Amino acid sequence: MRVPEELRYSAEHEWVAVAGDRARVGITDYAQDALGDVVYVQLPEPGATVTAAESCGEVESTKSVSDVYAPVSGRVAETNAALTDTPELVNSDPYGDGWMFEVEMSDPAELESLLDAAAYRRMTEES
Amino acid sequence: MPADLALLHDVVAGAPPALRLYRWDPPALSLGRFQPDDDVDRGACRRLGVEVVRRPTGGRALLHGGDLTYAVAMPRPPGAAGSVDAVYRLLASGLIAGLAGLGVEAAVARHDGPAGAVCFASQQGADLRVGERKLCGSAQLHRDGAVLQHGSILLTRLPFDETDLLHGPHDRAALHAATATLEELGAPFEPHAVADAVVAGFAAALDLRFTSTSTPAAQSAARHHVEVESGR
Repeated sequence: MRVPEELRYSAEHEWVAVAGDRARVGITDYAQDALGDVVYVQLPEPGATVTAAESCGEVESTKSVSDVYAPVSGRVAETNAALTDTPELVNSDPYGDGWMFEVEMSDPAELESLLDAAAYRRMTEES
Repeated sequence: MPADLALLHDVVAGAPPALRLYRWDPPALSLGRFQPDDDVDRGACRRLGVEVVRRPTGGRALLHGGDLTYAVAMPRPPGAAGSVDAVYRLLASGLIAGLAGLGVEAAVARHDGPAGAVCFASQQGADLRVGERKLCGSAQLHRDGAVLQHGSILLTRLPFDETDLLHGPHDRAALHAATATLEELGAPFEPHAVADAVVAGFAAALDLRFTSTSTPAAQSAARHHVEVESGR
């Protein structure tokens, strides 16, 4: 499973890429593999407030519906419109074109609570 | 369906795992969580007296009324044991053991590719088949450290099926050929008998002891009450 070094990770298998006060969020390679073929993604609305560790969306695969959790708090600035017609991008390119939403962070210190790549890798290997 | 979600919420709040078995009266068509509403022919549903409900889980349209629906809510096991596939395997072992008690040899279905609008028209890895025909379809929801899995075990055919209730071309003959009911398999298909077998299967395969809770006064405390869902 790919675990890019430059990203931060949540215990619920979301990844975060930080640029300034913006956090881009998606689900990890481990998560997309466990879910199976993604057929629908429900994302928070742009402008919505999300809270760290709370559910803010859902992913339906052929096998299950699972919650997507916000790894950080803030206001949703943008969502990935491509996932409406091609939800399978979550499977094929989870860290790139399969990104889900971007948050203007209200408390960047929350990033400290996330896992780095090594810790996330350990978490998934210990499973 | 709302009662299934309530089971999940109870488990999230700390209640023990629960198994619920129920039938539908009147018949109802349940849609998957994100299935387009446009798939449904509402006029046909009204004419046939079929209520339309939406599941909290995914998948496609499924007609209830000739089936026994089961719902399991449990804390998600830690680590890999809590994965979607692992939970399906765990609960499949209970269902397979239960069906074996009825003389039915069921197996986990192979993945047969993308599904159309009708749940039972195709097989996914979460389903149970007898030979090549689907007997039981299931779906999962993972939320807040808990899992809800519910599914439909086909007991008998209704005079109509999903192809009568959805828009677009659907092949009734193909649906029938792809599915099997317990009645068609020559197995017991009376709901209480099937429910008892499913409970026994879960108890044996998962090493569980069930305590019955919502039994009405008329039911024996030793039997598991088969509830009736009204679709609301």
